[in-house]
Amino acid sequence: MPNYRRLFRGGSEQRVPTVSAAIDSVRQAIQERKELLVLYFNFDRYTKIEEIYGWEKLDEILQTTGAAIREFLSTSPFAGSEVMVNFTNDDDFVLFHIPPPEKAVPSPDQITELTGKLHQYIARRIEDEHGDEIAALFDTFVGSAHIHYDPKIRLERQIYRAIRDAASSSNSVEQREFAQKASDLRDTLRTGSLYIDYHPIVVTETQEIFGYEALARGTMKSMRRPEVMFEVAEQTDMIWELSRLCRNTAISGMKERLTKNQLLFINVDPHDFTDPMFTEMDLDVKDPSKVVLEITERTAIRDYPKFRGRLKDFRDRGYRFAVDDAGSGYAGLGSIANLEPNFIKLDISLINCIDANFIKQSLVEKMVGFGNDQNAMVIAEGVETAEEYETVKQLGVHLVQGFYLHPPAPERATPVPPPRA
Amino acid sequence: MTDQSLPPILVVDDNEDNANIIRDYLEARGYPISVAYNGDEAMDLFESMKPTIVLLDVMMPGRDGWQVCREMKASAEGRPLRVVMVTALQDWMDKRQALETGADDYVEKPFELARLAAVVERNIAQLSPTR
Repeated sequence: MPNYRRLFRGGSEQRVPTVSAAIDSVRQAIQERKELLVLYFNFDRYTKIEEIYGWEKLDEILQTTGAAIREFLSTSPFAGSEVMVNFTNDDDFVLFHIPPPEKAVPSPDQITELTGKLHQYIARRIEDEHGDEIAALFDTFVGSAHIHYDPKIRLERQIYRAIRDAASSSNSVEQREFAQKASDLRDTLRTGSLYIDYHPIVVTETQEIFGYEALARGTMKSMRRPEVMFEVAEQTDMIWELSRLCRNTAISGMKERLTKNQLLFINVDPHDFTDPMFTEMDLDVKDPSKVVLEITERTAIRDYPKFRGRLKDFRDRGYRFAVDDAGSGYAGLGSIANLEPNFIKLDISLINCIDANFIKQSLVEKMVGFGNDQNAMVIAEGVETAEEYETVKQLGVHLVQGFYLHPPAPERATPVPPPRA
Repeated sequence: MTDQSLPPILVVDDNEDNANIIRDYLEARGYPISVAYNGDEAMDLFESMKPTIVLLDVMMPGRDGWQVCREMKASAEGRPLRVVMVTALQDWMDKRQALETGADDYVEKPFELARLAAVVERNIAQLSPTR
């Protein structure tokens, strides 16, 4: 679990107090000032960042977020006031603001404006320091509650009620933004506003391009990250439609993109195999042996025998399979062997800083041995540095994918015209 | 004689014999060594001596090695720190768990002292400013 307490730590010794300790330390100030503003920060998709990039990356992003919030607050009307930060649960933070005696509490409109600006400020800082790929993956929703101290009611009760109110107001901001994203997704599906980023997968030894992973991106800004697009689709029950559009767009771009012997890797969720319109016959592919279906290990497979039966249908037709995110969980190699993959794609958390971590090296070495036994090629994705590349090469990893060999450049992300709706 | 240019090492093991053998061996090689016999002592020494290498046994009463590792990594705050778990991380799950706690390396028990020295050296190499 990432250390969220570090998020707001200014100096190295400054610890974030618990709610009750914080109340004790501001009790007198509230009783004197008789007013208190509670801000509730709801951090969305931080766990997603951890799943994809590993906890080290998440820690860095949390530090950036903390620094951004501190900077923003220090130049806002909250500056110079008594501000306490508190840890409520793993995902969220609460901030108490007690205005200085001579200053008024900001009005609701001012607060809405401020929280909106804060939201943008955090996003910009994350984009500057970690790139727009990561910035597109996260959101911060800020809710607020203003309380007037009533000496007849226990202070703790008043504060906890305010925290609840602020939390629910942050949720309504989140819901509003989600409704907007759902509408963006419907537009995307209706107009086919997708393009495919083809990420090269190269042979480790020779650095020749072995194939491409097709990553679907929405042309609307809110739909840029496939993770976000698919999350919205899942919650609005549009997942099959989105998956079909992504697959068809990726396949229709194949002709221009692939040279002889190169393969196309397409992401497929186990859930897609329950779509009656996703069969080995429905895909518009001339040579199925050039297509690799990447199945993520994370999604629970409900009906295993049926799932294996579906895989067999595809395999008999010539399609190949990759297990995606292998080694991300605690499950060992048995669950991978069950899918009889042709390719094993190692989870990015195993590759990040692998040159400096000998436990990761031992895990990857084991996976390569396993791949060799099973006649499957092992792919390291997320290779970003020369050191990581050299390490996976030494460990015998067959294929690599990552910014070190192919940095993301706009000209590579040539949009493929969407099919006519 | 300890060599001041070598990084300080904290050895944590509830088995006093094991801990003392490791200490004597590494001290003879010039490393400044401190020893803790449980998790609480380890955290106290961690704060006071600020080691850059920690050799950490996993199975200890009270705070176990996993928890100690997590706490050390959380409080290191950018200070160079390599944590080596001294345990048999035999299966996939053990190693995954070690990664989650932030550990950098491991030495399987039982081990030869020369092997331990090699592991210490490769972790010191990772601390060098050329990286």
